Order: sequence, then structure tokens, then C-alpha cells
Amino acid sequence: MPSVCFYFEVHQPYRLKPYGALQVGRDHEYFDQKLNAEVLRKVANKCYLPANESMLRLIDRTDGRFRISYAVTGVAIEQMKLYAPEVLDSFVRLAETGAVEFVAETYYHSLAALYDKDEYREQIDLEMKLIRNEFGQTPRVFRNTEFIYNDEIGQFISDLGFEAMLIEGADDILDWRSPNFVYTVAGRDTKLLAKNYKLSDDIAFRFSNQAWGEYPLTADKFAGWVHGHSGAGDVINLFMDYETFGEHQWKETGIFEFLEHLPDLILTHPHWDIVTPSQVIDRYPALGELPFHRTVSWADEARDISAWRGNAMQQRALAEIYALGPQIRKRNNSHLLALWRRLQTSDHFYYMATKSASDAEVHDYFSPYEGPYDAFIHYMNVMKDLNLSVLAPAEKQIRL
Amino acid sequence: MKVLMLGWEYPPHISGGLGTACEGLTTALAERGIEIDFLVPKLYGEENAPHMQLLGAASAALMGPVPVETPRPLAELIAAEPALATDPIFMAAAAAAATQPQAGPPAEPSVRMLRVPAMLKPYLDQVTYRELIRTGALKESVAAEIAAAQTVNPLPAPPHEVTRLEHVHIPGDDLPFAEAAPSGAHYGEDLFAEVARYAISATRRVYGQKYDLVHAHDWMTFPAGIEIARRAGAPLVVHVHSLEYDRSGHGADRDIVAVEHQGLEAAARVVAVSYYTRGLINRVHNTPLDKISVVHNGVYARETVEAYTEQRTSTGPVVLFLGRVTFQKGPEYFVQAAARVLEQVPDAVFIMAGSGDMLPRMKVLVEDLGITESFRFPGFLRGAEVERAFSTADVYVMPSVSEPFGIAPLEAMSYDRPVIVSKQSGVSEILRNALKVDFWDVDKIASQIVALLELPELRRVIVERAREEIRHIHWDAAAATLVPIYESVLRG
Repeated sequence: MPSVCFYFEVHQPYRLKPYGALQVGRDHEYFDQKLNAEVLRKVANKCYLPANESMLRLIDRTDGRFRISYAVTGVAIEQMKLYAPEVLDSFVRLAETGAVEFVAETYYHSLAALYDKDEYREQIDLEMKLIRNEFGQTPRVFRNTEFIYNDEIGQFISDLGFEAMLIEGADDILDWRSPNFVYTVAGRDTKLLAKNYKLSDDIAFRFSNQAWGEYPLTADKFAGWVHGHSGAGDVINLFMDYETFGEHQWKETGIFEFLEHLPDLILTHPHWDIVTPSQVIDRYPALGELPFHRTVSWADEARDISAWRGNAMQQRALAEIYALGPQIRKRNNSHLLALWRRLQTSDHFYYMATKSASDAEVHDYFSPYEGPYDAFIHYMNVMKDLNLSVLAPAEKQIRL
Repeated sequence: MKVLMLGWEYPPHISGGLGTACEGLTTALAERGIEIDFLVPKLYGEENAPHMQLLGAASAALMGPVPVETPRPLAELIAAEPALATDPIFMAAAAAAATQPQAGPPAEPSVRMLRVPAMLKPYLDQVTYRELIRTGALKESVAAEIAAAQTVNPLPAPPHEVTRLEHVHIPGDDLPFAEAAPSGAHYGEDLFAEVARYAISATRRVYGQKYDLVHAHDWMTFPAGIEIARRAGAPLVVHVHSLEYDRSGHGADRDIVAVEHQGLEAAARVVAVSYYTRGLINRVHNTPLDKISVVHNGVYARETVEAYTEQRTSTGPVVLFLGRVTFQKGPEYFVQAAARVLEQVPDAVFIMAGSGDMLPRMKVLVEDLGITESFRFPGFLRGAEVERAFSTADVYVMPSVSEPFGIAPLEAMSYDRPVIVSKQSGVSEILRNALKVDFWDVDKIASQIVALLELPELRRVIVERAREEIRHIHWDAAAATLVPIYESVLRG
């Protein structure tokens, strides 16, 4: 009996304000509270609230046969509490249905996996605690920031005790294999659930693209594609940003109607059901190991980590923030630690990317700045102030 | 297709402005098979530096048999100006010229250069013009130059019927036209009289010639364009590189605005150098937007001249302003930003290269701000000096208040310099790999300068990507946009 597994990513960074060179040494408030509040409220109204409403209704209508999973980053939850607490309430209601699974990731949606493994572990622990506190669940499954994955990361997560990881189903990694089966981390038993990027991106990226041959995409047509995989796989993993519903694809595109009809249409086929990642690992055996010869992510055409460290600016900024680790820890100040971690959020580096063509359009869409150079300048000025004012010798320090 | 282009003298490749644009566009159009008569006011008395003639030789060859301006032998040039032998730009150009077969006149020259003596050059205003006349600096050489010009490139006998402008009105066109005298000898009493006189001379110069289309560049050539187009029964295209509003803001000369307006009204199509300028034309002159097409300027590809970086005289990083020191170019924002940068980068050196009516005030401002030690005012730079300035700068800043296009940042980029441009510039529309800022946002200008001086990674990424970017901003792209515009104008 094959399954469909839905997973949605919920994340909002603390965006930096435009921080000029002349503010260094004078201004120690780095984040753009006004903008962050605006964005969170806007996305709440366009996506989180109506989409959660839909999900609750669908779960209710199908008696829990429609099941879904989320990762909600710690920084997103913090900002929900600050700017739109009703959003967090509705996620709690989703958790209470019993049809919703929360997947772990890093609290700060950071690249710590690539730079500082101790820090990585702590950020995972923080997120685990948060999910237990907010939603009463202990995640068995992990997804790394932006699906960044290689064998080393897989083994590290496996050693932390997670039973499965969600990953990008990149063509060159899967090679002759299908994304619609379960695999394991190289050298471990931990399972890997690979995103079926063709079907996922049909919804997430192509849904409203009128130049696309399959436009308009109806729930009926999509369910037909899913059912077409009968006998050719165990599970179709549909992984995407939650903001697909109402934010990336506006309400006017008909995305909510699509969502409204899709579960019923998938479930009309007697052989198909809809499951969460934990159900996948309980039900389907792994076909074998899936070794990675490179580091993969779900971003950009290249599906690699060039979105965050593809140029010299990004590399410098990342090197600087992670080099501060020992100094920050020595201070033993929880505010300072949280500040440092908010500056690790991968979005800061994503805004600094200098990509061309369609990749650049996506980066520009997300960036609050006028371009990668401004993003780098603001970030480095903040780093300069952090070094000068906060990490300065004791007599010059600013109290946080 | 045969086009009469009413443009401006080509400068050497390295300087910005109207002449460069005319040259780039004309050359690229010719390569696309458009036949062009290129008519310019020849301002006698201003000698080019010798090496400029040499650099201009490549395009002179393309110009065909007229005019006769062959490069002087290398030895002769060095004898005349020994300093040239140590000028790497000159020597490189000389070497290049020596290795390339000297192209003879093309069998069918597609660009013919026609010069008409006139006391006109781009960006004149009434005050500057009177100053030029009053000092008489150019006066003495005029007669001799005209005599020489007449033998090389004789003007046809003025047809009797061209004695006045029939289709255009300019303040001052009622002054008697000195028909008997060689044109140019009796320059107009004021700027507008001279513009009118040029229009008549130009009309005479091309009398009897057939053109499919007349294309005029900026206001001083508009009356000539209107007159010739009407007489020839050809449609007129006017090309706006800058408006009087750009140059003078609310202090705009109403008579110049009126001449601009006549050109815009008479034109079958208006070409603007940017969307910024298109919008401004629409607001200032009410020209309908659908009558205005945008053709962005190009830039010449060049090899970076690393030789100069060895010749730096200052120890600190160098920040360059290069342009006319006038209201339009926003020099005071550069000075104000400099003062703020110096708080963070005390050894930075600021160069304000150029001349203009605001230069004395800028010097006073620098003194008032107490940053004289950090400032250099080398004055108006030419040729190799411009190249040296670009090559030795760490950052180029163009804080223009209103810049229709702005070629200078592209030139700076072609020297691998990172640039900061105001958002009130046409060039900012087409650049991704430049830092952009509102001209009035002095803090942000300062912040961007500091960032470029302190963050090598920022410089590196910008410069590498800009190098690739400007390869796509070339004159052929401009010509490729312009040709369909010509075609649609001819279809009516």
C-alpha cells in the first residue's frame, strides 16, 4: 500500500536592519523589528492562519486519514510569540489532532552543521526542547537546514539517535534509484526519506506558472500523477516551504482550492494513503544505503551549498561568525549567546548570494535588501559593532 | 538606409560624455549597415593632445576619406612631447597601431564626417558662452583654422535660398546672418544666435542631399535637425542625453528649455538614454511616454592598465570623484560623505577631479570641514591623466543629483574599479554590480565607501562580476535597439 508523505517547512529569520558603517559603535540593536513584525503578520494572514485552518478542516473531514508533518524553527516560533501568537495557537491545535508530526531541525535554521558540531548539537537540543514544550511531541525524525546533507551530517544525526532524516532527492545522488523508496544513511541504520522534487516542485514552484505545459494544475490531475506511481514505489515525499500556500503562490492562484481537494482525491484510490515520516519508517523497509559524494541542499539549480557560501563575501561572513564561538561561550551570557545564534541563521548568507538568472530572482524575492552587496555590508557592520562594543575589553562593554 | 546624424565631435576614447556616445552609436550603426552622414559643429582653436589623435585614428579610418586626419608618425609625436614616451597608454596604443595594418578608406564608406565651423560645444550655457567670447581665447585662431578647413573639406557654395530658418524659432534667429563672410568668422552675439547660425550653416552644408531620417543629439542641434528634416521631408529623431533640468535643476534656462521643447515636439520619435530620462522628459515637457524610446548607452571594452597602480603617490586608499564640478554632479555630497568616511578611515584620500562652477565652493567646504589634508583638486583631467586617475583609485563615486545616463561609472568599471552610483542616474538602471544610493543619503554613501575600503571580499566580488557585466553593455546592443526604432519611424 503506497503512501504520500507531506512535509512543510516553517521558518522566519530575524532580518537585520540596514546597518551602515556610521552606526558602528553607536547602535547595538541589530534587527529590524518593524520589518520582522510586518513580514510575520503578513505571512500569518496570507499563509499560516488560512493554511492551518485548511489543514484542521481536512484532518477533521477525513477523520485523520489526512496527515501532515512540519518543522517549525525556533526563531519562527519566537517571532510568532512576539508578533502573532494566534499562529502558534493554531499550530498547537494541529498538534492536538494526532494527525500532525513535528520534525526536528536546528532552532536557528543555521549552517552550524558545516562549521561547529558542538554548536550544531546544542541548536538541535534547543529545538527538541521547544517542540516538547510547545507541541508535546518528541521528534524521531530530523531535517537539516535547507536539506543540507552529506554522509558526515547523516552519521552525526544518526549518532544523536534520530531514526530518519528528510533529504533532497537529487538526481546525481539517487542515480538509477527512485526517490519513492526508503534508503539509509551510509554506514548507519537511520532511514532517509528523499523528496520527490518533480512532484513537490510542480506544486511549490510551477503551480501558477502559465508558461508551464501542465498549467493549470488541478488536484484531480495531480492525484492522477500520484496514482500513476502505483507499484513503482512505497512513498511519494512531497516536501516544500509551508509559505507555498498563500505566500509564494497567492490565494488568487487557486492554491487553497487545490489543497482543499487534493487529500480526498489521493484517498479515493483504495491502495493509497497519506502518512507522516514516522509512519514511513515504521512501515517501509530500507532498500539500501544512499551514499552522498557531495554536499546537497534543496536550493537553487545546483542543489548544493553555493546559495550560502558560493562567493567570497559569504565565506568571510560565515568564517567570522563561527570564529566568535569560543569568545561568546566564555561570556556565559544567555542574551549574548542568543544574539550570536540569531546571526547564524542561514538567510543572512542567502541574501549575499551573487547568482545569475532564475536563481537570482529567487534570492531577490526573499531578500529584504537591495542586493547581495548591501546584505554583506549590513552584516559585516553588525559584526564590527559586535566585536567593538559587545566583545570589547570589559570596561568598554555594552550591557545586554 | 541613409541617416543624417547631427552630433558632436568624437573625443578620445577615455573621456565620457556626448562625443563618446555619438561615436559609439554611429560606429555601431555603421557596422549594421546604416549609411550615415555625421555632421558636427567644429569648434576651432581647441587642439587635441597629440596622442588623442592617435587613439582616434582607428575610428578616423572608418570615417572614410573625409576628413583628412592621419596620425602623425610616432617619432614626430614623441619629439613634440617627450613625456609621451613614458606614457604606457600611449605606447600601448602606438604598439597596437604599428601591428595593425593601416586600413585604407573602405570601398564604400558608410560614415562620412562633415564639419561645420561653429562656436559650439556640448553643455554650453549663456554664461559660459559669453565668457568664451569675452576672453577671446579662441578668436585668433579661428580664421586660420577655417582657411585650412576650407581647403581640406570645402563647403559648397551656400545656395541662395538658404538664408533663414523657416521651420524653427530660436531666440536670436532674427539677427542678420553674415552671408558674405566665411561662416564661423562671425560667430553669434549670444549662444542662441550661434545656435541659429549653426542651424543655417548645417542646412547649407547638406543642401541637396537625400536622407531617409535625421537624428539630432541634444538641444543645440535640435534647430538644425528640425530645419533640415523639414526641408528634406524626412522624419526627425531627437536623442536626449541630458535635459536642461538635469544640468541646472530649478535654475533651468527657459530659453534652452524652449528649444528642447521644439525638438521634442517636431520629432517623430524621441530617444532617451534611460528610463529615468524618459520619465523626466514626460514630466518636464509633457511628451507622451509612448513617443519616447529608451536606448541605453554602451561602453568600450578595454584592458586594465595595471602600470598605473605602481605609480600611486598617496599611502592611503583613494576615493575618486571625476566629472564636472557642477550642481548636476552632486559634488557637495561627495565632500560631506568624505568627512564621515575620514572618521572611520583617517588615511583615506579624496580626489575631486574636474572643473566647474561649484569648484571654488567645494574648496571652501573642504576647508570648513577641516579635511583639506585629505583632499586633492587636480582640476580638469585629460587623456592619460583620466586613465591614471581611474587606475589608481580604490573607489569611484558618482553622486549625481540628476544623471540621464552616466558613462563614467562604466569607464571606472572597465578599469576594475568598484563604483558607487546615485539612484538618480540612468546607468543605475542597467547595473547590478555597483553600489547604489540616493544622492542625498550622505551617511549611506559614506558607509558604502568605508565598506569598499575595508572589505576586500566585497571589492573582489563586485569587480569580478562587474567585469563580466560590462561586456554586455556595448554599443552594438544600443545600435541593435535603435535600428528597429528607425524602422518603425520610417513606417510612420
